[in-house]
Amino acid sequence: MTAFKKSQKSATQILERIRESVDKLNEKIDIVIEIQRHGQRNSEAIPDVLDVMTLLSLPDHLRKTAVTLCKIGQATADEVSGQTKRARAVESGYLNQLVLMGYVKKERRGRKAYFYVEKEE
Amino acid sequence: MMGNIIAVHSYKGGTGKTLLSVNLASTYAKRGRNICLFDLDFRAPSLHAAFKAEGNGYWLNDYLNGTCDIKKVLIELNPRIKGSGRLFVGLANPATEAIREMSAKDRKWEMRALGRLLSLKTSLFNDIHLDHIIFDTSPGLQYSSINAIVSADVAVVVSSLDASDIKGTQRMTHELYDLFEKKTGIILNKVLAGIMSTPSKKKALLEKLRVIHNLPIIDIIPCFCEVLEAGGTYVFTVERPEHPFTAILNEVATKVENLTSSSFQQVHATA
Repeated sequence: MTAFKKSQKSATQILERIRESVDKLNEKIDIVIEIQRHGQRNSEAIPDVLDVMTLLSLPDHLRKTAVTLCKIGQATADEVSGQTKRARAVESGYLNQLVLMGYVKKERRGRKAYFYVEKEE
Repeated sequence: MMGNIIAVHSYKGGTGKTLLSVNLASTYAKRGRNICLFDLDFRAPSLHAAFKAEGNGYWLNDYLNGTCDIKKVLIELNPRIKGSGRLFVGLANPATEAIREMSAKDRKWEMRALGRLLSLKTSLFNDIHLDHIIFDTSPGLQYSSINAIVSADVAVVVSSLDASDIKGTQRMTHELYDLFEKKTGIILNKVLAGIMSTPSKKKALLEKLRVIHNLPIIDIIPCFCEVLEAGGTYVFTVERPEHPFTAILNEVATKVENLTSSSFQQVHATA
Protein backbone atom coordinates (compact mmCIF):
# COMPACT_ATOMS: atom_id res chain seq x y z
CA MET A 1 0.00 0.00 0.00
CA THR A 2 2.85 2.37 0.95
CA ALA A 3 4.67 1.49 -2.28
CA PHE A 4 1.49 2.27 -4.22
CA LYS A 5 1.17 5.69 -2.54
CA LYS A 6 4.84 6.45 -3.27
CA SER A 7 4.47 5.56 -6.92
CA GLN A 8 1.29 7.67 -7.10
CA LYS A 9 3.15 10.63 -5.57
CA SER A 10 6.08 10.30 -7.97
CA ALA A 11 3.65 10.05 -10.92
CA THR A 12 2.02 13.32 -9.79
CA GLN A 13 5.45 14.95 -9.55
CA ILE A 14 6.36 13.76 -13.04
CA LEU A 15 3.09 15.11 -14.43
CA GLU A 16 3.70 18.44 -12.68
CA ARG A 17 7.19 18.66 -14.24
CA ILE A 18 5.75 17.84 -17.67
CA ARG A 19 3.17 20.60 -17.20
CA GLU A 20 5.88 23.10 -16.24
CA SER A 21 7.96 22.12 -19.28
CA VAL A 22 4.94 22.49 -21.57
CA ASP A 23 4.27 25.93 -20.03
CA LYS A 24 7.84 27.03 -20.67
CA LEU A 25 7.64 25.67 -24.20
CA ASN A 26 4.38 27.56 -24.80
CA GLU A 27 5.96 30.79 -23.57
CA LYS A 28 8.92 30.32 -25.92
CA ILE A 29 6.58 29.59 -28.85
CA ASP A 30 4.62 32.77 -28.03
CA ILE A 31 7.85 34.77 -28.13
CA VAL A 32 8.82 33.22 -31.51
CA ILE A 33 5.35 33.99 -32.92
CA GLU A 34 5.51 37.56 -31.61
CA ILE A 35 9.00 38.10 -33.10
CA GLN A 36 7.77 36.76 -36.45
CA ARG A 37 4.81 39.15 -36.34
CA HIS A 38 6.50 42.31 -35.14
CA GLY A 39 10.21 41.84 -35.90
CA GLN A 40 13.01 41.58 -33.35
CA ARG A 41 12.12 41.95 -29.73
CA ASN A 42 13.68 45.07 -28.32
CA SER A 43 14.40 44.32 -24.69
CA GLU A 44 15.67 47.86 -24.15
CA ALA A 45 12.38 49.41 -25.23
CA ILE A 46 10.68 51.62 -22.65
CA PRO A 47 7.65 49.71 -21.38
CA ASP A 48 4.39 51.24 -22.50
CA VAL A 49 1.70 52.31 -20.07
CA LEU A 50 -1.38 50.15 -19.59
CA ASP A 51 -3.89 52.96 -19.11
CA VAL A 52 -7.54 52.94 -20.23
CA MET A 53 -6.69 54.36 -23.66
CA THR A 54 -4.24 51.49 -24.21
CA LEU A 55 -6.85 49.02 -22.97
CA LEU A 56 -9.26 50.41 -25.57
CA SER A 57 -6.71 49.91 -28.35
CA LEU A 58 -6.02 46.25 -27.51
CA PRO A 59 -7.77 43.42 -29.38
CA ASP A 60 -10.75 42.00 -27.46
CA HIS A 61 -9.02 38.82 -26.29
CA LEU A 62 -6.01 40.69 -24.84
CA ARG A 63 -8.20 43.45 -23.34
CA LYS A 64 -10.12 40.92 -21.27
CA THR A 65 -6.88 39.47 -19.89
CA ALA A 66 -5.38 42.92 -19.24
CA VAL A 67 -8.48 44.26 -17.44
CA THR A 68 -8.64 41.13 -15.30
CA LEU A 69 -4.97 41.49 -14.35
CA CYS A 70 -5.55 45.18 -13.49
CA LYS A 71 -8.39 44.08 -11.19
CA ILE A 72 -6.46 41.30 -9.47
CA GLY A 73 -3.24 43.30 -9.23
CA GLN A 74 -0.74 40.45 -9.38
CA ALA A 75 -1.65 36.99 -10.60
CA THR A 76 -0.62 33.70 -12.14
CA ALA A 77 -2.14 32.56 -15.44
CA ASP A 78 -4.20 30.15 -13.37
CA GLU A 79 -5.72 32.96 -11.27
CA VAL A 80 -6.51 35.04 -14.37
CA SER A 81 -8.14 32.05 -16.06
CA GLY A 82 -10.28 31.56 -12.91
CA GLN A 83 -11.78 35.01 -13.54
CA THR A 84 -12.06 34.98 -17.34
CA LYS A 85 -13.30 31.35 -17.50
CA ARG A 86 -10.87 30.70 -20.35
CA ALA A 87 -8.28 27.90 -20.35
CA ARG A 88 -5.13 28.45 -18.30
CA ALA A 89 -2.87 27.78 -21.31
CA VAL A 90 -4.81 30.39 -23.33
CA GLU A 91 -4.40 33.01 -20.57
CA SER A 92 -0.72 32.12 -20.24
CA GLY A 93 -0.31 32.84 -23.96
CA TYR A 94 -2.17 36.16 -23.75
CA LEU A 95 -0.27 37.28 -20.63
CA ASN A 96 3.05 36.52 -22.31
CA GLN A 97 1.93 38.50 -25.36
CA LEU A 98 1.21 41.46 -23.05
CA VAL A 99 4.68 41.01 -21.52
CA LEU A 100 6.23 41.13 -25.00
CA MET A 101 4.25 44.24 -25.84
CA GLY A 102 5.74 45.89 -22.73
CA TYR A 103 2.45 46.41 -20.88
CA VAL A 104 2.84 43.67 -18.28
CA LYS A 105 5.79 42.47 -16.23
CA LYS A 106 6.56 38.88 -15.32
CA GLU A 107 8.43 37.47 -12.38
CA ARG A 108 9.25 33.85 -11.60
CA ARG A 109 8.99 32.78 -7.98
CA GLY A 110 9.90 29.15 -7.58
CA ARG A 111 7.75 27.16 -9.94
CA LYS A 112 5.19 29.87 -10.50
CA ALA A 113 5.23 32.81 -12.90
CA TYR A 114 3.53 35.98 -11.60
CA PHE A 115 2.25 38.71 -13.88
CA TYR A 116 1.58 42.31 -12.84
CA VAL A 117 1.12 45.78 -14.32
CA GLU A 118 3.02 47.56 -11.61
CA LYS A 119 4.56 46.35 -8.35
CA GLU A 120 2.27 46.99 -5.40
CA GLU A 121 3.68 49.55 -2.98
CA MET B 1 -22.15 38.98 -0.84
CA MET B 2 -19.84 41.68 -2.15
CA GLY B 3 -21.46 45.00 -3.11
CA ASN B 4 -21.47 46.71 -6.45
CA ILE B 5 -19.97 49.81 -7.98
CA ILE B 6 -22.46 51.89 -9.96
CA ALA B 7 -21.06 54.57 -12.27
CA VAL B 8 -23.43 57.39 -13.23
CA HIS B 9 -22.19 58.80 -16.52
CA SER B 10 -23.38 60.80 -19.54
CA TYR B 11 -22.15 61.78 -22.97
CA LYS B 12 -22.93 65.47 -22.53
CA GLY B 13 -22.80 67.72 -19.48
CA GLY B 14 -25.85 69.09 -17.67
CA THR B 15 -27.98 65.95 -18.00
CA GLY B 16 -28.51 65.65 -14.23
CA LYS B 17 -25.88 63.08 -13.22
CA THR B 18 -25.11 64.70 -9.88
CA LEU B 19 -28.79 65.23 -9.03
CA LEU B 20 -29.52 61.57 -9.78
CA SER B 21 -26.37 60.29 -8.02
CA VAL B 22 -27.13 62.25 -4.84
CA ASN B 23 -30.79 61.23 -4.77
CA LEU B 24 -30.06 57.61 -5.69
CA ALA B 25 -27.50 57.39 -2.86
CA SER B 26 -29.96 58.95 -0.41
CA THR B 27 -32.79 56.65 -1.56
CA TYR B 28 -30.61 53.60 -0.91
CA ALA B 29 -29.54 54.94 2.51
CA LYS B 30 -33.20 55.51 3.43
CA ARG B 31 -33.81 51.85 2.56
CA GLY B 32 -31.11 50.81 4.99
CA ARG B 33 -28.29 50.25 2.50
CA ASN B 34 -24.74 51.31 3.30
CA ILE B 35 -23.63 53.60 0.51
CA CYS B 36 -20.54 55.51 -0.50
CA LEU B 37 -20.87 58.26 -3.09
CA PHE B 38 -17.71 59.53 -4.81
CA ASP B 39 -17.29 62.72 -6.80
CA LEU B 40 -15.16 61.70 -9.77
CA ASP B 41 -15.77 64.92 -11.68
CA PHE B 42 -12.41 66.51 -10.89
CA ARG B 43 -12.88 69.27 -13.46
CA ALA B 44 -16.15 70.47 -11.99
CA PRO B 45 -16.53 69.07 -8.44
CA SER B 46 -20.05 69.45 -7.12
CA LEU B 47 -20.87 66.99 -4.32
CA HIS B 48 -19.50 69.35 -1.66
CA ALA B 49 -22.17 71.86 -2.71
CA ALA B 50 -24.94 69.27 -3.03
CA PHE B 51 -24.42 68.09 0.56
CA LYS B 52 -23.15 71.43 1.89
CA ALA B 53 -20.19 69.42 3.16
CA GLU B 54 -16.91 71.02 4.04
CA GLY B 55 -13.86 68.98 3.20
CA ASN B 56 -12.22 67.16 6.09
CA GLY B 57 -8.73 68.01 4.84
CA TYR B 58 -8.53 64.90 2.67
CA TRP B 59 -9.94 64.69 -0.84
CA LEU B 60 -10.42 61.94 -3.37
CA ASN B 61 -7.59 63.66 -5.26
CA ASP B 62 -5.25 62.73 -2.38
CA TYR B 63 -6.29 59.08 -2.47
CA LEU B 64 -5.72 58.88 -6.23
CA ASN B 65 -2.36 60.63 -5.77
CA GLY B 66 -1.46 57.84 -3.35
CA THR B 67 -0.91 60.23 -0.42
CA CYS B 68 -3.67 58.99 1.88
CA ASP B 69 -5.87 56.02 2.70
CA ILE B 70 -9.40 56.03 1.26
CA LYS B 71 -10.98 55.90 4.73
CA LYS B 72 -9.52 59.32 5.57
CA VAL B 73 -11.39 60.80 2.59
CA LEU B 74 -14.82 59.52 3.63
CA ILE B 75 -17.30 61.83 5.35
CA GLU B 76 -20.35 60.24 6.97
CA LEU B 77 -23.66 62.09 6.43
CA ASN B 78 -26.22 59.88 8.17
CA PRO B 79 -28.14 62.36 10.35
CA ARG B 80 -29.09 64.41 7.28
CA ILE B 81 -30.48 61.45 5.35
CA LYS B 82 -32.95 60.17 7.96
CA GLY B 83 -32.45 56.55 6.97
CA SER B 84 -31.29 53.40 8.63
CA GLY B 85 -28.35 52.92 6.28
CA ARG B 86 -25.00 54.66 6.38
CA LEU B 87 -24.13 57.26 3.74
CA PHE B 88 -20.53 58.28 3.12
CA VAL B 89 -19.24 60.74 0.56
CA GLY B 90 -15.79 61.14 -0.92
CA LEU B 91 -15.35 64.69 -2.23
CA ALA B 92 -13.25 66.01 -5.10
CA ASN B 93 -11.21 69.09 -4.24
CA PRO B 94 -13.04 72.14 -5.69
CA ALA B 95 -10.02 74.50 -5.41
CA THR B 96 -8.96 75.93 -8.78
CA GLU B 97 -5.37 74.85 -8.17
CA ALA B 98 -6.52 71.24 -7.55
CA ILE B 99 -8.64 71.26 -10.73
CA ARG B 100 -5.70 72.57 -12.73
CA GLU B 101 -3.40 69.94 -11.25
CA MET B 102 -5.84 67.09 -12.00
CA SER B 103 -6.17 68.25 -15.62
CA ALA B 104 -2.41 67.97 -16.13
CA LYS B 105 -1.93 64.34 -15.05
CA ASP B 106 0.02 62.04 -17.37
CA ARG B 107 -0.82 58.53 -18.61
CA LYS B 108 1.19 56.80 -15.91
CA TRP B 109 -0.76 58.66 -13.22
CA GLU B 110 -4.04 57.71 -14.90
CA MET B 111 -2.91 54.06 -14.97
CA ARG B 112 -2.22 54.17 -11.22
CA ALA B 113 -5.53 55.97 -10.62
CA LEU B 114 -7.30 53.11 -12.40
CA GLY B 115 -5.52 50.63 -10.12
CA ARG B 116 -6.59 52.60 -7.04
CA LEU B 117 -10.22 52.79 -8.19
CA LEU B 118 -10.21 49.06 -8.86
CA SER B 119 -8.82 48.33 -5.40
CA LEU B 120 -11.67 50.30 -3.73
CA LYS B 121 -13.82 47.25 -4.09
CA THR B 122 -11.70 45.05 -1.85
CA SER B 123 -10.79 47.77 0.66
CA LEU B 124 -14.22 49.37 1.18
CA PHE B 125 -16.64 46.50 0.72
CA ASN B 126 -14.73 44.33 3.18
CA ASP B 127 -14.03 46.98 5.82
CA ILE B 128 -17.21 49.09 5.92
CA HIS B 129 -19.66 46.47 4.61
CA LEU B 130 -21.02 48.72 1.90
CA ASP B 131 -23.87 47.65 -0.33
CA HIS B 132 -23.07 50.03 -3.16
CA ILE B 133 -20.43 52.52 -4.21
CA ILE B 134 -21.76 55.20 -6.56
CA PHE B 135 -19.39 57.12 -8.86
CA ASP B 136 -20.64 60.52 -9.99
CA THR B 137 -18.45 60.92 -13.07
CA SER B 138 -17.47 63.69 -15.46
CA PRO B 139 -19.29 63.73 -18.81
CA GLY B 140 -17.92 62.42 -22.10
CA LEU B 141 -14.86 60.37 -22.86
CA GLN B 142 -11.99 61.46 -20.70
CA TYR B 143 -9.60 59.61 -18.44
CA SER B 144 -11.45 60.04 -15.14
CA SER B 145 -14.80 58.94 -16.58
CA ILE B 146 -13.40 55.96 -18.51
CA ASN B 147 -11.43 54.89 -15.42
CA ALA B 148 -14.71 55.02 -13.49
CA ILE B 149 -16.56 52.99 -16.12
CA VAL B 150 -13.84 50.31 -16.22
CA SER B 151 -13.85 50.04 -12.40
CA ALA B 152 -17.65 49.88 -12.12
CA ASP B 153 -19.89 46.82 -12.24
CA VAL B 154 -22.82 48.74 -13.71
CA ALA B 155 -23.01 51.93 -15.75
CA VAL B 156 -26.08 54.15 -15.62
CA VAL B 157 -26.05 56.59 -18.52
CA VAL B 158 -28.11 59.75 -18.13
CA SER B 159 -29.24 61.26 -21.40
CA SER B 160 -31.53 64.04 -22.53
CA LEU B 161 -33.81 63.97 -25.58
CA ASP B 162 -31.38 66.20 -27.46
CA ALA B 163 -30.50 64.56 -30.81
CA SER B 164 -26.73 65.02 -30.38
CA ASP B 165 -26.93 63.53 -26.87
CA ILE B 166 -28.86 60.49 -28.08
CA LYS B 167 -26.42 59.95 -30.96
CA GLY B 168 -23.37 60.46 -28.75
CA THR B 169 -24.73 58.16 -26.02
CA GLN B 170 -25.45 55.50 -28.62
CA ARG B 171 -21.90 55.67 -29.98
CA MET B 172 -20.33 55.83 -26.51
CA THR B 173 -22.17 52.78 -25.16
CA HIS B 174 -21.34 50.64 -28.17
CA GLU B 175 -17.79 51.80 -28.80
CA LEU B 176 -16.70 52.02 -25.15
CA TYR B 177 -19.01 50.18 -22.76
CA ASP B 178 -19.41 47.09 -24.92
CA LEU B 179 -15.62 46.74 -25.24
CA PHE B 180 -15.43 46.39 -21.46
CA GLU B 181 -18.57 44.19 -21.31
CA LYS B 182 -20.24 46.66 -18.97
CA LYS B 183 -23.79 46.12 -17.75
CA THR B 184 -25.51 49.31 -18.81
CA GLY B 185 -28.89 50.98 -18.39
CA ILE B 186 -30.11 54.31 -19.78
CA ILE B 187 -32.06 56.99 -17.91
CA LEU B 188 -33.71 59.69 -19.95
CA ASN B 189 -33.86 62.80 -17.80
CA LYS B 190 -35.51 66.23 -17.99
CA VAL B 191 -38.15 65.10 -20.50
CA LEU B 192 -40.91 67.62 -21.12
CA ALA B 193 -44.15 66.33 -19.58
CA GLY B 194 -46.11 66.82 -22.84
CA ILE B 195 -43.98 64.26 -24.67
CA MET B 196 -45.25 61.49 -22.38
CA SER B 197 -48.57 62.91 -21.26
CA THR B 198 -50.33 59.55 -21.68
CA PRO B 199 -49.15 56.01 -20.80
CA SER B 200 -49.21 55.04 -24.49
CA LYS B 201 -47.00 58.01 -25.42
CA LYS B 202 -44.54 57.03 -22.68
CA LYS B 203 -44.57 53.40 -23.83
CA ALA B 204 -43.92 54.45 -27.44
CA LEU B 205 -40.99 56.64 -26.33
CA LEU B 206 -39.56 53.80 -24.23
CA GLU B 207 -39.76 51.42 -27.18
CA LYS B 208 -38.16 53.93 -29.53
CA LEU B 209 -35.24 54.45 -27.11
CA ARG B 210 -34.83 50.72 -26.56
CA VAL B 211 -34.46 50.21 -30.30
CA ILE B 212 -32.01 53.12 -30.64
CA HIS B 213 -29.74 52.07 -27.76
CA ASN B 214 -30.30 48.31 -27.73
CA LEU B 215 -29.99 48.58 -23.95
CA PRO B 216 -32.47 48.51 -21.06
CA ILE B 217 -34.13 51.88 -20.48
CA ILE B 218 -34.24 52.22 -16.70
CA ASP B 219 -36.75 55.06 -16.70
CA ILE B 220 -37.86 58.32 -18.26
CA ILE B 221 -37.85 61.17 -15.75
CA PRO B 222 -39.97 64.23 -16.51
CA CYS B 223 -38.65 67.73 -16.01
CA PHE B 224 -40.08 68.91 -12.67
CA CYS B 225 -40.18 72.66 -11.99
CA GLU B 226 -39.82 72.00 -8.23
CA VAL B 227 -36.59 70.06 -8.76
CA LEU B 228 -35.20 72.88 -10.89
CA GLU B 229 -36.33 75.44 -8.31
CA ALA B 230 -34.53 73.53 -5.54
CA GLY B 231 -31.39 74.06 -7.62
CA GLY B 232 -29.44 71.37 -5.78
CA THR B 233 -29.62 73.32 -2.51
CA TYR B 234 -31.00 70.30 -0.66
CA VAL B 235 -31.39 66.55 -1.22
CA PHE B 236 -34.75 66.53 -2.94
CA THR B 237 -35.89 62.98 -2.15
CA VAL B 238 -35.12 63.55 1.55
CA GLU B 239 -36.88 66.88 1.91
CA ARG B 240 -39.79 66.16 -0.46
CA PRO B 241 -40.82 62.52 0.16
CA GLU B 242 -44.34 63.18 -1.19
CA HIS B 243 -43.15 64.50 -4.58
CA PRO B 244 -43.54 62.34 -7.76
CA PHE B 245 -39.78 62.77 -8.42
CA THR B 246 -39.11 60.88 -5.15
CA ALA B 247 -41.47 58.07 -6.24
CA ILE B 248 -39.68 57.81 -9.61
CA LEU B 249 -36.27 57.73 -7.92
CA ASN B 250 -37.53 54.87 -5.74
CA GLU B 251 -38.38 52.89 -8.89
CA VAL B 252 -35.04 53.82 -10.47
CA ALA B 253 -33.19 52.61 -7.36
CA THR B 254 -34.93 49.22 -7.55
CA LYS B 255 -34.28 48.85 -11.29
CA VAL B 256 -30.59 49.75 -10.90
CA GLU B 257 -30.24 47.11 -8.17
CA ASN B 258 -31.89 44.57 -10.48
CA LEU B 259 -29.35 45.52 -13.14
CA THR B 260 -26.46 44.88 -10.73
CA SER B 261 -27.69 41.36 -10.04
CA SER B 262 -28.06 40.45 -13.76
CA SER B 263 -25.27 39.19 -15.98
CA PHE B 264 -23.95 41.16 -18.98
CA GLN B 265 -25.65 38.66 -21.32
CA GLN B 266 -28.98 38.91 -19.44
CA VAL B 267 -28.88 42.71 -19.63
CA HIS B 268 -28.40 42.60 -23.40
CA ALA B 269 -31.00 39.87 -23.86
CA THR B 270 -33.68 41.89 -22.07
CA ALA B 271 -32.95 45.09 -24.04
